[in-house]
Amino acid sequence: MKTFYLTLSFLIVILALVNPLKVGAAEVTLLNVSYDPTRELYQDFNAAFAKYWQAKTGDKVTIKQSHGGSGKQARAVVDGLEADVATLALAYDVDALYEKGKLIPKDWQKRLPHNSSPYTSTIVFLVRKGNPKGIKDWDDVVKPGVSVITPNPKTSGGARWNYLAAWAYALKHNGNDEAKAKEFVAKLYKNVPVLDSGARGATTTFVERGIGDVLLAWENEAFLAKKELGSDKVEIVVPSLSILAEPPVTVVDKVVDKRKTRAVAEAYLSYLYTEEGQEIAAKNYYRPTLESVAKRYEGQFPKINLVKIDEVFGGWKKAQKTHFDDGGTFDQIYAK
Amino acid sequence: MQFKQSLLASLLIGSGIISAPLSVLANDSTELEQLRALVQELDQKVRVLDRKNELAAEAADAKKKETPILKASEKGFGFQSGDGKFEIKLRGLIQADARYFDSGTNIATQAAPGGSTPGYLNNSDAFNTWLPRRLRPTIEGTVFEKYDFRFTPEFGGNSVLSDSGIVDAYVDARFTPELQLRVGKFKPYVGLERLQSAADIKFVERSYVTNALLPNRDIGASLHGNLLGGKLSYGLGIFNGVADGGDNTTSSDINNAKDFAARLFAIPFKDSDSPLAGLGFGIAATYGDVTGKTQDTVGASVTELTSGYKTEGQQTFFRYNDSSVLISGPALSQSANAPGTDWLVHADGKRYRIAPQANYYYGPLGVTAEYARVSQGVSIGSLNSNQTTLNHEAWEIGASYLMTGEDAAFKGVKPKRDFDINSGGWGAWELVARYSEINLDDKTFTFGTTNGVNAATNVAHWLYADPHISSKSAQTWTIGANWYLNPEVKFALNYVQTTFDGGGGPYVSPTSTSTYPISLKTNGSVFDRPDERALLARFQIAL
Repeated sequence: MKTFYLTLSFLIVILALVNPLKVGAAEVTLLNVSYDPTRELYQDFNAAFAKYWQAKTGDKVTIKQSHGGSGKQARAVVDGLEADVATLALAYDVDALYEKGKLIPKDWQKRLPHNSSPYTSTIVFLVRKGNPKGIKDWDDVVKPGVSVITPNPKTSGGARWNYLAAWAYALKHNGNDEAKAKEFVAKLYKNVPVLDSGARGATTTFVERGIGDVLLAWENEAFLAKKELGSDKVEIVVPSLSILAEPPVTVVDKVVDKRKTRAVAEAYLSYLYTEEGQEIAAKNYYRPTLESVAKRYEGQFPKINLVKIDEVFGGWKKAQKTHFDDGGTFDQIYAK
Repeated sequence: MQFKQSLLASLLIGSGIISAPLSVLANDSTELEQLRALVQELDQKVRVLDRKNELAAEAADAKKKETPILKASEKGFGFQSGDGKFEIKLRGLIQADARYFDSGTNIATQAAPGGSTPGYLNNSDAFNTWLPRRLRPTIEGTVFEKYDFRFTPEFGGNSVLSDSGIVDAYVDARFTPELQLRVGKFKPYVGLERLQSAADIKFVERSYVTNALLPNRDIGASLHGNLLGGKLSYGLGIFNGVADGGDNTTSSDINNAKDFAARLFAIPFKDSDSPLAGLGFGIAATYGDVTGKTQDTVGASVTELTSGYKTEGQQTFFRYNDSSVLISGPALSQSANAPGTDWLVHADGKRYRIAPQANYYYGPLGVTAEYARVSQGVSIGSLNSNQTTLNHEAWEIGASYLMTGEDAAFKGVKPKRDFDINSGGWGAWELVARYSEINLDDKTFTFGTTNGVNAATNVAHWLYADPHISSKSAQTWTIGANWYLNPEVKFALNYVQTTFDGGGGPYVSPTSTSTYPISLKTNGSVFDRPDERALLARFQIAL
């Protein structure tokens, strides 16, 4: 009996030492797998949420971030990267978590307001100071001799938004003629000298490496570049038409259930919709969805004619199949 | 990039493309504009090429992280995932030994060669022999970066690939350097020389401290880790419990009793410039209590007592009164005037071991010193009579010196120049010397009668061990040399001389199977076992 108690004590010591979380239940970590340009947004947001969560529950939460091309990030999660939450560039990439990994339910998008997109954005142009090539709209981007920087739509969510925005513009100005739209976008990619795998890489190519005349950029990325480089280096050009980008977020159910982090992960995403979360998004140049905050930041965001993917392309699934799957229009025009 | 632009401009100027128009057509702004545009275009092309190279390098790096790596090096052969988180290694240890005895006695106490005739002290010479001392293939690896495993069977020595032929089989979770958990069959964190790999030991055989008294391998769990940047290491474990020098099998335990082991080892001046940087010292202990929990079933190894202490020549010089001492076969039946199961000694009571230890490495010099004391409770027969505690102790001090100037270390020797006849490299040469001894408790050799045994068999005899066949102490000098041809291949040659107290009683031939060795029942005079003088040689490859 004495040996039994000694053995038991020994095992308790081992358990207490190797698994302090379970004993103390005071610390938890989350992994947010996100797309390229959200680094700064989630740095700010994570700090605010950790403070909020500790005040609310007494628990200390540490949020780790992982960033990369949205499609690449989705594949990583499907392949086993244990993301508690995924905050990707487009719904199609989040859908992959259901379709390829059964990590989330099919109706994941209905779980949070605004189709699970707490903030939106769009695509604008970043040009060099003085706009030497006189770029004002999409027509200027496809002109010969204009060097355009945009990432690879096969790996980058932002790049797909860029591509579809250009396509939507071409459709509108060519009487919805798909062939002419294809020709238009083919001209655009003829002007692309290098394809990065993600939006942040494309920004590096344009800003730090000094390549190209125009960067097709997320609005928040363009604002951030301008803020960091100064108005004497780059300018933002707003095209006459662009696309409404709705980056969605989701809890990765299989991971949070395994890691017992569902409560904090769900609270994390819900906090994005709060006044404070929306304020942080707006400060990082994402368009808030909460009316009150959107009003406060009205002047910050230019008014653009924004088309929706569902209206022009019949949703992400169809757009992906037509344009970005192997053998789709992107492959056809870029191979040329 | 600036350099490239300047270079481009210089080339253009140098080639006359710019300089000529500048001098001749300085006012022709159109042409200047064209040239400027040309330079800008070329500049963009260079930048694009640079960026593409950069992206290709990034892609190659990313790909590298995903591509499995095939490894073949002095640390073995294996595969590793591109990110290094998963790995399988194939390693091995082959030790081909030769033993030559100038003087020495074969193991005592076995039945005389040839059959059922009971023998007593088989006073023949120790056998000169070649033998594969260790043949150990090892599969080890890592999963998810922090979880290691190791599996090592033994095909050499006296082992066969059976339950007891598994040397190591454990998993090790490295949560942090400070906190690691090892579970399975492995070396308990106790003896210094035992924790040194068999491939790295300085002598052909380990000393009495390690081979005789401290546990070899046991089955259980240990917390272990390195603190203060490796200046302090600890081990804390719970095990099934194993006899002195014992190697537990992988079968289930025979009782509920568990042994506890703890060790602290400090290298306080580690990583400093001090001459004491290589000084390490520590202390280890084990505790177990098997009071009334061992059996004395004839022929079954359940006594939790050592099956014998051995010399460096691997000849047994001490045995408790176990079934091999008390003569195997029909003699063990409970008949009148016959030693039988009621005379068998087994572990009964508490078992403590304590082992202070130290080593010191300074340049080519290495010194190791270790002491061990074991307090072992024992009793006799199925009635657990004559329960007592026996205290045995052993110690050793050994030194090594690398004549070729390499640094001595706990883990192996890496020659400055590998042995190569063509290039003139001679490997590393090392001289070694050690003194070690073992002293057994006087009470071990008590002459008397067992308590509570029926009168018919209750005759006076040597209760725990017979000094005519088991020595009370042994003292050993070892000198030798090691030749490291390269980090994996080693020749070792040791000369070993051992003297004994007791254990050399005269061989008395029994007159019939019903007559038992006189000295077992008689408190007669005791002779010393003959000195053992032996040459031990080894050729080893270790990966």
